[in-house]
Amino acid sequence: MQIRVKCSCGEDCREWAVLELQGVVEVQPQFQDRLHNLHIGLLCRPSSPETYTFTIGYHELTGTKLPLKKPLLVLKKTKRSEDGSDDDACAAGVELEVIGIIRHRILFKTRPMALISKPQPAVKKSAQAPFAPAALEN
Amino acid sequence: MDPPSPGCTGAEAVLSLQPNSSIPITYHPLFGPHDDLILLEVDQKLLPDVLHQRVTVRGQPDEDAVLCTESKTYAMKSVGTSNSVFLIPPSGQYNTFESPKCSSENYHDPLSVASVIKIATGNMELVEVAPRLDKLRLLLSQNPYRSDEDIEMVDLEEMERTNAGLYRWNDLIEKVQASDYELRIGLRALSAVEINGYWRIVDEKYMGTILRMLLHNSVLNDWSMSLLNQDDVVNMLESDGFPRKLADHCLHIFGNKMTEGAITSRMWKLDERKVCVHFAREILRDGKRKMKKFMEEWVRKVPEGMAASFDILEGEVLIEKLGAETWIRAFSVSSLPYNPAERFSILFKERAKWEWKDLQPFIRDLNVPGLSAEGLLLKYTRRTQPTADAEPVFSAR
Repeated sequence: MQIRVKCSCGEDCREWAVLELQGVVEVQPQFQDRLHNLHIGLLCRPSSPETYTFTIGYHELTGTKLPLKKPLLVLKKTKRSEDGSDDDACAAGVELEVIGIIRHRILFKTRPMALISKPQPAVKKSAQAPFAPAALEN
Repeated sequence: MDPPSPGCTGAEAVLSLQPNSSIPITYHPLFGPHDDLILLEVDQKLLPDVLHQRVTVRGQPDEDAVLCTESKTYAMKSVGTSNSVFLIPPSGQYNTFESPKCSSENYHDPLSVASVIKIATGNMELVEVAPRLDKLRLLLSQNPYRSDEDIEMVDLEEMERTNAGLYRWNDLIEKVQASDYELRIGLRALSAVEINGYWRIVDEKYMGTILRMLLHNSVLNDWSMSLLNQDDVVNMLESDGFPRKLADHCLHIFGNKMTEGAITSRMWKLDERKVCVHFAREILRDGKRKMKKFMEEWVRKVPEGMAASFDILEGEVLIEKLGAETWIRAFSVSSLPYNPAERFSILFKERAKWEWKDLQPFIRDLNVPGLSAEGLLLKYTRRTQPTADAEPVFSAR
C-alpha cells in the first residue's frame, strides 16, 4: 500500500519545542491519575545566552538550546473512517500528515542540582515532581 | 524573573523565551501516549520534498515501510532514546476548551504555560536504500505476454477478473518498494512494456519471433540495420500480424534510438550486442553446449553484418571445463536477485570460487547506497591471494 505524506503547512510549518532531559520525571503518587494541566516545573532563561534552567521540585537542571542538525518532523497518523467515500489507493485507510517541525531542542544533560535554599518563588512547593533516583544513573 | 508575556504560550513561548524570563511547564490537558504522533528525522535536503507532499510511504503490512521521494528510497528505522523528550506543541494546536479541573496551586491556567503533550520514546530515521525491485520481477514474471494472447484475443476482462498476475502502474507502486523513478528504471531493465494499461514482460520466444521477422523484413526491403525508420518497421510488422505496441517494443529492446540534437528522431539503429546476446540465449535455452558447437551455431545465427564476438556474452554465460571439453551454458545476470546477500549466495552456490574477472560481470550492477564495490566484496566475500602477484580469488564468507 501507499500512504502519501500530507502537509498543509508548506514551508511555514509550525515549530514545536522540545525539552530533553536524562532519566525520567516521576509524578508523585497523589497526582498519578490527574496529570492533565499538572505543573511539571519552571523553565527559566537567565541572562546568559542560550542557557536554560529547568526547576522541577527541589531539583534544578541546567541546559542549552541546540539546533538540530537534521530537523524532526512531527507526523500524525490517522485512520480514516470506513465510510469515507475517498477512493484513494490507501486501502488500509491510514493517513500521515506533517503537523509540525522541530528545529531546536533544549537539552539538559547535567545531573540535577538539589536546591537546598528556598527555591524560586514561582515554583510551587507542593507541585514537586522529583526525579526517581534510579533514573538518574544516565 | 518576568512571567511570560500574556497570550504567548505553547512552543512559541519556549522557543522565544527572553533572557531573564521564565515559563511554567505543565502536562497538557490532552497529555498521553499519543502513539499517533511520530517524529521523523529528515535531512535538510529532503525537507522540501516532504513539505511539498512529494513523498509517500510504501510497503505491505508484512514489509518494513520505506519512504520514497520521486527518485529515491529510504528505509525507515526506529531509534529509541532513554532520555525524556518532552514535546510541546505550538499554541492553538491541540486546543481544548476545557478549563483545568482543579484550580489548585498545582495546576495552571493553560493560557499562560507551555504544556507537554507527549514524552517521545524515540524517532524514525531515514537511511537511503536500494529499491526493492526483486518483487517487481517476481510480479511481472507471473504472467508474461505470449504470442497466443494477441492471436487468440484472450479476454482481458476474464483475465482481470481472475486477477492473473496483471498489474497497472498504480498496482505496482502499491506493491513495490521503490520510488517512481526507480520503478521506471526497473521496468526498463526488465524490458517491460505497458500493454492495454498493464505492465508486462514479453515472453522471450515471442520477442525472438518478432526480431526474426524484423531482420527478415530489413533484408527484403534493403533497410540498413543501423538506420531503421520506426514507422516503416512498425507498419511492416503490423501487416505481418504483430500488434503495433509489440513491434514498437521490439525496436526498444533490440535497438537504440538515434539522437540528432534536440529533434526526436524516428530512426533506430539495431544494437549489435543485444541482438547477438539474444541469439546466444536462444541456442543455450535448452541447456549447455560444447563451446565449439555453440560458436559455430551462434556465428551462423547472427544477422549478416554483425559480429558474434565472445566477450559480449559477459554476464550472460558460464564456461566450464569438463575433461578435455569446454562447455558453455546460460547464466544471466539479469535473472539474479538485486538483493546483494541473495545475489552472492546464488553465485557461490553456482561456484565456490570466483576470479575477479569472472565475478565482476555478475555484480557490477549491484548498487547499495553507502556501500562501495569494495565494501560489497568485503561484506559478502572472502578474498584469498595465494601469492602477492597471483589473481585474487573470492569465496563465500
